[in-house]
Amino acid sequence: MKPTRNSVALACAVFLLAAGPAHAGRSCEAKRPSAQTIEKGMNLAERTWKELEASGNRVVILARAVQDLSKYGLRYSHIGFAYRQPAANGEHVWRVLHKLNHCGTAEAAIYRQGLGEFFLDDLWHYEAAYAVPSREVQEKLLAALLDERAVRLHHKPYSIVSYAWGRKYQQSNQWAIETLASAMSSTAVTRAQAQAWLQLHGYQPTTLRIGPLTRLGGRLGSANVAFDDHPSEKRFSDRIETVTADSVFAWLERSGLAGPKMAIGLR
Amino acid sequence: MKTCLVTLLACASLAFSAAPARAHSEASALSAVSALPVASVVAGASVAVPAALAVSGAVLVVKAVEVSAHGTLLILESASDGARISIDIAGSGLAAGSLAVGTTVTVSVIGSGVVLSAAGEAIAFLPNALGKALLSNERLTY
Repeated sequence: MKPTRNSVALACAVFLLAAGPAHAGRSCEAKRPSAQTIEKGMNLAERTWKELEASGNRVVILARAVQDLSKYGLRYSHIGFAYRQPAANGEHVWRVLHKLNHCGTAEAAIYRQGLGEFFLDDLWHYEAAYAVPSREVQEKLLAALLDERAVRLHHKPYSIVSYAWGRKYQQSNQWAIETLASAMSSTAVTRAQAQAWLQLHGYQPTTLRIGPLTRLGGRLGSANVAFDDHPSEKRFSDRIETVTADSVFAWLERSGLAGPKMAIGLR
Repeated sequence: MKTCLVTLLACASLAFSAAPARAHSEASALSAVSALPVASVVAGASVAVPAALAVSGAVLVVKAVEVSAHGTLLILESASDGARISIDIAGSGLAAGSLAVGTTVTVSVIGSGVVLSAAGEAIAFLPNALGKALLSNERLTY
């Protein structure tokens, strides 16, 4: 839609100036990655695999850092569940269950990938982080990841800043903790029930301070950015509450559901 | 630089600030990098990893490129001893199909396999047993 109002045009101009080229969504255009990207990503996957193997754990919450979020006080951008999956030969492999957005569209899907794929991206920090759930949580979580509960609470409409307590959209980290809730409680069958469990157990989302011009620019420039699920009183006071990797790690430790976050870097 | 869209979290950098030095992937995006073509040495090689692929920094030269519906067959020749190896790259075109005969290919050996690159761009990854265990891609919902 062609902007006709000065305010919209100004906002767009500011957004473009600030953010560089904007497109209707992330391009799925294939390109050759650099050799260094592959080497570092696979080396991080290998180090993570070795550490998880040596730990004796069966499932952990695993994070990567694709974006520089330091201005928000955040280090990691995306979480998934890394778990030991039984293999046909009696051995096991480590797989990551996580939710991925498709090429900047307003939709996402659940994927089960190798540790390689999890880190094969142009990472901001070549550093992984993980939290080890308590034994009880690991047992319940692993059972859920291996049955239909792994995808039960997945909601396809996606916004990267979806409201933590909303149901219109669901971003990736939000799917992860709602799935954790459904694993922990037999009564957390719907997203609303899972969110109630999360509130009862003290989860607190990150509040991002995002002003009106940036909100407008983000919405106009991106199919996967929406704010209309946030309550008006919060949205119009620039408070965007969403689920972040760092807030999940802090909550897991605070609640005793998991131990402290541990980092894995490249030497 | 990736051409990916600057996401809200990136653009939420104050609207009046300078453009970020690097444009990175979105936090939860399906990575285009993960489409890295996985390759294998064509059967017939007498050892699991030919000598030409065993040393980081080794240089090979593209002698032939055969593109088929199945993938791309690359015939490479070692710049040091003239030994030839054939690499079968699964999938379509992106990786090696556009390589010209005479292109120099560099070998990089890592713990999970061998990365082949041309002018700094990865054209194929030959996973070893560990590399194969680290790679899997399955979409569960539609």
